[in-house]
Amino acid sequence: MAAPPPSPAARSTVAVELLERFRGLLGSDAVLASDDELMVYECDGYVVEKKAPDVVLLPTSTAQVSEIVKACNEFDVPFVPRGAGTSLAGGCLPVGGGVMIALTRMKRILEVNLQDRYAVVEPGLVNLNLTRHLAGSGYHYAPDPSSQGACTIGGNVATNSGGPHTLKYGVTVNHVLGLEVVMPDGRVVELGGPTEGLAGYDLVGLFVGSEGTFGICTQVTVRLTRDPDAYRTMLGIFETVSDATHAISQIIAAGIVPAALEMMDQGIVEAVEAAYGFGFPLDAAAVLLIEVDGLEVAVDAEAERIIALCNEQGAREVRRAESEEQRALLWKCRKQAFGAIGRLSPSYCTQDGVVPRTKLPEILEFIIESGERHGIRIVNVFHAGDGNIHPILLFDERDEDQVARVFRASDEILGRCIELGGSVTGEHGIGVEKLSFMDRLFTPDDLLVMASVRRAFNPLGTCSPGKVLPTAGACGMEEIQRSHPGKQAAS
Amino acid sequence: MSEGPRAADGVPEELVPATVSELARLLAANSSGPRRPVFPVGGRTALGFGFGVDPASLELTTSRLDRVIDYPARDMTVTVEAGCRVSELQNQLKPEGQRLPVDVPLAHRATLGGAIASNAAGPRRFGLGTLRDYVIGIGCVTVEGRSFKAGGRVVKNVAGYDLCKLMVGSGGTLAVVTEVTLKLKPLPEASAIGFACFDRGETVQDLLGDLATSRARPVAIELLGPKASRQVAAESRHDLPTGPLLLGIGLEGSRDEVQWQVEVIDREMRQGGAGGVAWFRDAQTAKVWSALTDYQVGVEAPVTIRAALLPSRTVEFVVAAIDAGVAVQAHAGNGVVHGHLPDDTLDAAAAESVIHPLRELAADGGGQVIVERCEAGWVDQLEMWGPRRDDWSLMEALKREFDPGGLLSPGRGVDGALGHAAAAGEGTS
Repeated sequence: MAAPPPSPAARSTVAVELLERFRGLLGSDAVLASDDELMVYECDGYVVEKKAPDVVLLPTSTAQVSEIVKACNEFDVPFVPRGAGTSLAGGCLPVGGGVMIALTRMKRILEVNLQDRYAVVEPGLVNLNLTRHLAGSGYHYAPDPSSQGACTIGGNVATNSGGPHTLKYGVTVNHVLGLEVVMPDGRVVELGGPTEGLAGYDLVGLFVGSEGTFGICTQVTVRLTRDPDAYRTMLGIFETVSDATHAISQIIAAGIVPAALEMMDQGIVEAVEAAYGFGFPLDAAAVLLIEVDGLEVAVDAEAERIIALCNEQGAREVRRAESEEQRALLWKCRKQAFGAIGRLSPSYCTQDGVVPRTKLPEILEFIIESGERHGIRIVNVFHAGDGNIHPILLFDERDEDQVARVFRASDEILGRCIELGGSVTGEHGIGVEKLSFMDRLFTPDDLLVMASVRRAFNPLGTCSPGKVLPTAGACGMEEIQRSHPGKQAAS
Repeated sequence: MSEGPRAADGVPEELVPATVSELARLLAANSSGPRRPVFPVGGRTALGFGFGVDPASLELTTSRLDRVIDYPARDMTVTVEAGCRVSELQNQLKPEGQRLPVDVPLAHRATLGGAIASNAAGPRRFGLGTLRDYVIGIGCVTVEGRSFKAGGRVVKNVAGYDLCKLMVGSGGTLAVVTEVTLKLKPLPEASAIGFACFDRGETVQDLLGDLATSRARPVAIELLGPKASRQVAAESRHDLPTGPLLLGIGLEGSRDEVQWQVEVIDREMRQGGAGGVAWFRDAQTAKVWSALTDYQVGVEAPVTIRAALLPSRTVEFVVAAIDAGVAVQAHAGNGVVHGHLPDDTLDAAAAESVIHPLRELAADGGGQVIVERCEAGWVDQLEMWGPRRDDWSLMEALKREFDPGGLLSPGRGVDGALGHAAAAGEGTS
């Protein structure tokens, strides 16, 4: 395998001539280049690293994206796509500066075909808007990230997003059939399509989750899923976190695949209760939000089995959602839990680790212990059924010592996930945040092969440089610090 | 080191490594030495697929790499070497009430590695998906002997590029799969398959349209022509209804779920014009599932084609294929069709005259027809994968990155298809 592409970090300024080209191409209102306009784009949901792009472009068509990319190549400027910027690992941080291509104006639903169970949408479409559009049709788009009210389908493709209901229905890659992609050289290529089983390599499966490093997706053909015939939603209330995590393990081990199985600990319940007033018990150590779906004829029996398993593990009580309103409120509490965290702390860092599901009790104990040792308050709200943990570390970013302790605790928790046979990210991605973990998860040969795959799509490394794979000899974090000293918010 | 028969020049013709590291050493030695083409082989159930094998190839057999490495049943995952037979794996999962819910043809012979390379699937792909939905970790060796892995052993993981997806369906052209971690599912409590005959395609089309909003949720929707029906009946040793078009609907789940759905589907099929519905339940279904799964490879035909279509265009394609004398089975809910050309297809030109109109029909709805297997010697005369698609150049770039010397299954994948398309282009220009 040949050497990795040269580091693009040295290139960062955008020539006046190029800006003029962009204005001619897109119109002035689609070219943002002043400092105050750019500030909005200096980070995503991972606020610890900040770097504004040199220019933000808001194209409205595939042809425009292709022209932008060709112009960037001509001027040797790196470029990075961006959706709603809800990613949590710095996936759309413009490492090395350059052009940010924000796809939020490409948000049309181009086709819905219920007979063949697919829809074709533009990448800037907000996830929830597709589901809203389909309401009443009997079909929906299954991946439902907690940020679905803001995040875009294109962003979901980039990070292979999950969500509560992916436990039963699978993550984004299981629901993407085809992509239209502007390649890093400006060519427009169709990968896959609404017909499944085309001959050749599964480039769609490979592209999903490539975090913008293989090209810019400009159209997505998604699989639509039948709405469940019926569902039952329950709230299990536990005296200890350990009882709750053991109940999760028991449910999975019993061969039950709930539609969703989520845990919230006391810390997060307190914030959520203050925000939404659902009626959660504030003295319980943990609650489980459990949903089963399927045929009306079967859901009650499955719910009863789950209630029995929870009770065996010492649940104080298992409540059922009595009405559609109550179910909707429960899900609102879960999905908007992150929004309620502002009540607990000025800043927070959401971690994303995965362990084998039977190791949940162990990792939760470790998180509690790690938080105590570093003097950092950690609350938990996560996709328990998948073993996908989201410890949320609370801190004040003005306190440098706290920030350093947050980093140490995060590092320790993710390291423990690896030791337990898991991974450092279940759905947020590597971005820039987790580059330093890649060589702990993978061998140099694994990374060489991954680099060669990227080279097939992105031979010059100009598209989303500095993401996913650590550059040879230096980890990506060092590269950001080196090229942009003093631009970071927190350290 | 274990060796097969030796050729005159002292290089073994068949490599049968007992460990992954031995496999890597053998490939490294070949790559730095004789540089023979290498042809990875699992259970030998799909050897005839694709563009044929370079006769100078070394065979690399994975059959001795058959250990179950780790089976944490309560996590519902298993890590296993790629030479493990699929039925052997299923036997090990069964006592825990679990399975890999993918229909693999000739599962008693097929290996997991081979199933992954050929993206094997069958009738239940409609409700349960395909291998790409279950492979969560993979270990491979490149033709140069470099071992690599991707994914992991947990069910949700986005660290690094998803090379699992790339390897599923790669036809042994990128790297040799040596180890795989699979997500598992619980075995269903009950299953049922109902068959009914129809005279006209339009009737089936309407019924399938209504099924899209049925309260029942089938795991399989199969549509068979008369030849395929007869073979499935013979292989499964069950009497199936006979008629021009046979529709089969498969159901799985708890006893209550299956019973309730049998009633719903039975009613919907009768209302949709079926004279009678023959139901097979629970233990009876095993042989039906395997007959439906094996049909795609279980016929000695001069040419076997596979079509990828929109589900709504499948019935018209099936009817056209039957009219052209093709023995046809469709996974109708997915738009995947397997067709065997009749024995009296005497030469490639005769085969092409059958395939060409079907290919046009498929292309009209955005679909594709490929020749999956054919008589030796016909490869160069048939349009194997049909017209070039614009993502083939990316596939070719990936092939070059993994196998710059073109030593691994040369000409068996996209490189063969591109050579073919180029030759066809020259022929017409």
